[in-house]
Amino acid sequence: MQDEQAMVFVVDDDESVRESLESLLRSVGLRVAAFASAQEFLASPRDDVTSCLVLDLRLPGQSGLDLQKRLTELDIQIPIVFITGHGDIPTSVRAMKAGAMEFLTKPFADQDLLDAINQAIERDQTARQHQASLAEILRRYGTLTPREREVMELVVSGLLNKQVAAELNVSNVTVKVHRRQVMQKMRAGSFAELVKMSEKLKTSPARSL
Amino acid sequence: MLKKPSQSYRFWQSAALFLSGGAALGLLSLICFRLHVNSTTVGLLFLIVVVLVSLRASLLSAALVAIIAYFCLDYFFTAPLFTLGMNQALDYVAPIAYLLIAVVITRLMQRVRKFQEEQKRAEETLRKSQAELAHVRRVVTMGELAASIAHEINQPLSAIVNNGSACLRWLAGDAPNVLEAQEAARRIVRDGNRAAEVITWIRGFLRKTDTEKSRLDINQTIREIVTVIEREAVESGIEVRMDLASDLPQVLGDRVQLQQVVLNLLMNSLESMALITERRRELLISTRKQETDKVLVTVRDSGMGIDGESLEKIFDAFYTTKTQGMGMGLAISRSIVEDHGGELWAVTNDGSGATFQFTLLPQK
Repeated sequence: MQDEQAMVFVVDDDESVRESLESLLRSVGLRVAAFASAQEFLASPRDDVTSCLVLDLRLPGQSGLDLQKRLTELDIQIPIVFITGHGDIPTSVRAMKAGAMEFLTKPFADQDLLDAINQAIERDQTARQHQASLAEILRRYGTLTPREREVMELVVSGLLNKQVAAELNVSNVTVKVHRRQVMQKMRAGSFAELVKMSEKLKTSPARSL
Repeated sequence: MLKKPSQSYRFWQSAALFLSGGAALGLLSLICFRLHVNSTTVGLLFLIVVVLVSLRASLLSAALVAIIAYFCLDYFFTAPLFTLGMNQALDYVAPIAYLLIAVVITRLMQRVRKFQEEQKRAEETLRKSQAELAHVRRVVTMGELAASIAHEINQPLSAIVNNGSACLRWLAGDAPNVLEAQEAARRIVRDGNRAAEVITWIRGFLRKTDTEKSRLDINQTIREIVTVIEREAVESGIEVRMDLASDLPQVLGDRVQLQQVVLNLLMNSLESMALITERRRELLISTRKQETDKVLVTVRDSGMGIDGESLEKIFDAFYTTKTQGMGMGLAISRSIVEDHGGELWAVTNDGSGATFQFTLLPQK
């Protein structure tokens, strides 16, 4: 396992299956928390660590697909490995389209499940790193003054200093000062890095902050 | 089982009747002779004996008794006494009357017995075909439940596979974890038994047997069958509740047949709730003890309900309100319950849906 701290959540209403999955996953060194229903899973406090969800498709009350939808609505990004007693194609297509990692039919080979879980955890890790770096860039961006933000936007769009000065109706020197401030506050080692950060900011939904 | 009296049994019965007929005639002769009863009265008394013997005995025995009766009458009661011979009108009429009565009554009784046997056989055939029909119905039901049952078996199976893999992994490596492996192995045994229980139940349910009544805990009988439909219910968003009384007497019944009745009612309820969207889909199964110690089983749903006109008709064979189905389920259920000495009926709920109830007799 690539991450000692990785956590696997299991949601299955069948106690036998739940227990067996817990044991199997613990045997390969994963941390496991199992729940009997979608409601139970949603209600439980979860550590903010790399994790993935092994989810039974058919559950009493909220089904696995319902839970998947609910998690998307709540903006909880956790990779899901679906397991099901009898997987029909339309359901599996729906699950995969909604972003599921894998769709396994019970009983499955242990390696298939472990591979899927590894992949899911890897994806979560990458996503988390991405999230973390984005959060950091956002934090830095937050320290910029409105004028500095204007300068940054124009500079990364490819304008020269004097063009920026003309655009903002300020002196060339002022632009240079602002530009240096931006580079410093954003901790950009090079102009190219600043452009990259600005790209990331554009994809972030939290841009308006 | 229908028992046909054997040939030798019939022979000995006839012989015994002949002997007792003869003895009766002798006794009557003795008493009447002492009391000086007139010959006509004796003739009538003898006639009664001949009739009684003819009712049960074979033609030969009856005829022999008739002849003895005639000889006794002629010898002891008609003049001249202590001689045989055709001297009076009674001497001519009596033998003819006795023999005729013997022949007619034995023949009639033969017919009656044959008729009775035929009737018994017809009843037996009817009972057999009813049992057969009920069996067919169970097979069909099992087919309808195939997905649920497959699931019931697949769950423990996949748990077994997982536990097996886990067990191997706990034992692998330099520091095997024997405790964890043991736990996994224990779960394998438990889940294997769970799967086997499902199979055993199916076998029993599909077995073709005559009615086998035994003492039953009706609550347990109901719980077993509810497990079978629970999955189906959950997937259809139906809430299943059980309210089983704890003070119930045991009932005398055929477990499979009673489960068939309950299963039939439950599946009807599920079906009638499948299209309900504007209210909660609820299924309530309850048991109660009635004043007379009878057990009352109730299945109540919030489905489409039954209109007043159909309340009785639904129990008729081939009557159905469904698009699919033969209309045999409730008819079979009612005949099973009645065979157990109980009643099965339906009522419309105050709110929505229908309630089916049946009673069972306590085992004394």
